[in-house]
Amino acid sequence: MNETTSFDKAAQDVAAFQKMCLESLAKSFQAAFKFSPDSAPPEILREVRAGIFQALTESWDQFMRSPQFLESLRQWMDNAVTFRTMTNEFLGRLRNEVQAPSRNDIDTVMLAVRHMEKRLLDRLDEVSAQILKANGTSPARPPSAPGAKRSGSKAQRRRGQPAKTESEIS
Amino acid sequence: MSSPFDLAAFWSQWPKAVADETAVAAGRITRWPSLWERSRRVRKGSSPAEVVYEEDRLKVLHYLGNASPRHKTPLVFVYALVNRPYILDLKKGRSVIANFVEAGFDTYLVDWGIPTSADRHLMLDDYINGYLVNVLDFLRERTGVQKASVLGYCMGGTMSAMFAALHPQRVRNLILLAAPIDFASTESLLNVWTRDFDVDKFVDAFGNCPAEFLQMSFQLLRPVANWIEKPIRFYEHMHEEEFLEDFLTTETWLQDNIPVPGEVYRQFVKYLYQKNLLTQNRMPVGKHIVNLRNIRCPVMSIMAGKDDLVPSAQSLPFNDLVGSKDRRVLLLPGSGHIGLAIGSRAQKEVWPQACGWLAERST
Repeated sequence: MNETTSFDKAAQDVAAFQKMCLESLAKSFQAAFKFSPDSAPPEILREVRAGIFQALTESWDQFMRSPQFLESLRQWMDNAVTFRTMTNEFLGRLRNEVQAPSRNDIDTVMLAVRHMEKRLLDRLDEVSAQILKANGTSPARPPSAPGAKRSGSKAQRRRGQPAKTESEIS
Repeated sequence: MSSPFDLAAFWSQWPKAVADETAVAAGRITRWPSLWERSRRVRKGSSPAEVVYEEDRLKVLHYLGNASPRHKTPLVFVYALVNRPYILDLKKGRSVIANFVEAGFDTYLVDWGIPTSADRHLMLDDYINGYLVNVLDFLRERTGVQKASVLGYCMGGTMSAMFAALHPQRVRNLILLAAPIDFASTESLLNVWTRDFDVDKFVDAFGNCPAEFLQMSFQLLRPVANWIEKPIRFYEHMHEEEFLEDFLTTETWLQDNIPVPGEVYRQFVKYLYQKNLLTQNRMPVGKHIVNLRNIRCPVMSIMAGKDDLVPSAQSLPFNDLVGSKDRRVLLLPGSGHIGLAIGSRAQKEVWPQACGWLAERST
């Protein structure tokens, strides 16, 4: 039963691709015979070629929007993600075995730092709001969305430095 | 009435055409050996500039004009996190930035730098409420002017719109160049492809969105043009000096893809491409929600009629979503996404108008 379904699906995919190819071919032939006989020979070839490319472009655009193409794209992406996940797991285990930090370890540290940063920034926000309230001024930053979560910002409130050396772009 | 088709005359033209083509082909072949060397010598950015501010990987470039700026309000270019920003200053005669510098604007460019794996946790909040706020604060201290004009290109335009909505007190004028705002349209293939894309699985596995993946996606938008027509056009015109220089400069930039920080990519795909939250004023950036109605400064939206990456349908709704009364749309029909910045028509028709519009509002 499953085999029949997958066979049907494969047949549908092939049929969609075949339809696109045939349409491209038909449109290309139509385009190829639209040139004006008064044109100089290289111009005729260019006109024919432009017509063929235009037809091909339209057919490919239609095909790349078709459910068959989208399904193939999804499968291809799933395979790429699975392969990458397997590689990550393998390299993670390998690094753990040699007692080196793996990507997972770094991610864990990064998340811990960002959570800490988030808590500090939230606290700073509260303190700033209290100071502003005491001074009777309104905050310069936009109001928070009710219930919205702060992501913890790396760059927020950490000012960079004006460049000391001035370099001309080469 | 058209003249009857003269078959004999038609065929008699062929030997000459073949001979001409052979001669030109011989000229083209002589170019091949020097191509590699020439492509390596392509300059990235043409106008003189100095780095005035640095933070993490970010650099702010200040462009040096021949004379002092005539307009007090500084102008900041915000480029996308995809590709490098020197497309805005590609070469002499095809530089958006040079247009503004020559028109007397105090011009700055935000170069986000190239993210590494360590930056995969950076979010839109970091870029908009962090880096951009810091850059605008730095410019306020440097110039003494409270507000700056912001020009955002492509994804940088979307980020600029969010910034202007969250920090209206920092933006004097806003110009969006081919910026995607409304993601409901299915005109662009990117919107069709990302609709059911499992971005969580992708970012969890890859970290940053790889440059090669982005490059392949952009190429696949126009496979016939990119993989068939372009090489043919290159072969046919490679003996023309101006064409060759333009081609090598543009291709150098096109191949210069960079990864996008994973979390930013996740937010962009999930909140914009899949849920279209920006137009509904529900887009979360950190703990804030972007409300485009908060934008009350003068806005100009520039878009291209034949843009495959960001069709005009994605940019056009912006002017109706903002709270500004001073709104302008500039559409360049027949131009593409990159042509809008570097195309010769854009240089003649779009940028002088944009400079004039901004000059009136930068006193």
